Amino acid sequence: MSRKFPTFAVTFAAVYAAVYYFAVDDNWALFSYGPAVGEWTLFTRAASAGPTMYWYGWIATSALAAAAAGLLACVLPEHIGKRIWPDFAWLVPMCSIAAIGYLLSGYLTR
Amino acid sequence: MWIALVISHGLLAFLLLGAMTHQVVSVWAPVRARAGNFVARFRAVGSANYVNAVIVLYIATMILGSVLYTDYRITARLTLEQGHYWKSFGAFEFKEHLIAIGLAMLPAYWYFWRPPLDDRHARTRTMLTTLLAFIVWWGFLTGHIVNNIRGLGT
Repeated sequence: MSRKFPTFAVTFAAVYAAVYYFAVDDNWALFSYGPAVGEWTLFTRAASAGPTMYWYGWIATSALAAAAAGLLACVLPEHIGKRIWPDFAWLVPMCSIAAIGYLLSGYLTR
Repeated sequence: MWIALVISHGLLAFLLLGAMTHQVVSVWAPVRARAGNFVARFRAVGSANYVNAVIVLYIATMILGSVLYTDYRITARLTLEQGHYWKSFGAFEFKEHLIAIGLAMLPAYWYFWRPPLDDRHARTRTMLTTLLAFIVWWGFLTGHIVNNIRGLGT
């Protein structure tokens, strides 16, 4: 296995979690889906009928950004790549989860 | 077809929950001596043995959940909204985000559990496993509750 894989994996987990939060908060969906009509559209265009789902698009946006960041981290000089703290792999997702929990906290008090 | 998918999704989630719980318990409370009773044997499992199963089950459960989610969006979600089940509604919204974030942690989870285990990464391993266990438990319980509210095949 490549020595770069841990750099990629940690960067991917951290960047994905951070981007995902903003994707949810600001609706950065790469594509949307209308389940009632089976309609896929690019970015955040509403479906022609029924509800529009952005969740798949948020995942795609975050995965794309995280993959790009991960690959970029892999081409950095090794002494910089080694400075990427392994604990970012859980710490950033945990912060993102807490932030999303805060976004949704209104449902607990409704 | 949706009922078969819901049941398959539930069964996969159940297997995932078992694997994840075994692993997280053995990480936080490993048994040093020979395991005697049921609880000790539960804690005494080899943590690293569960990694591939957890990853495969997580992805398989998520794929089925992603397919079911389209039906949920136009059926069960309306039931929750119309019945003003806002806490359950919010819990399910939170679940979808947890599952999405957990997915991206799997490559790191796999890497840090790769034998031979590196003691320098024990904390990273423990926290990744704990966070994934939280995600899986939240997903399982919330899915179960929402399914109970909506009812199967109604």
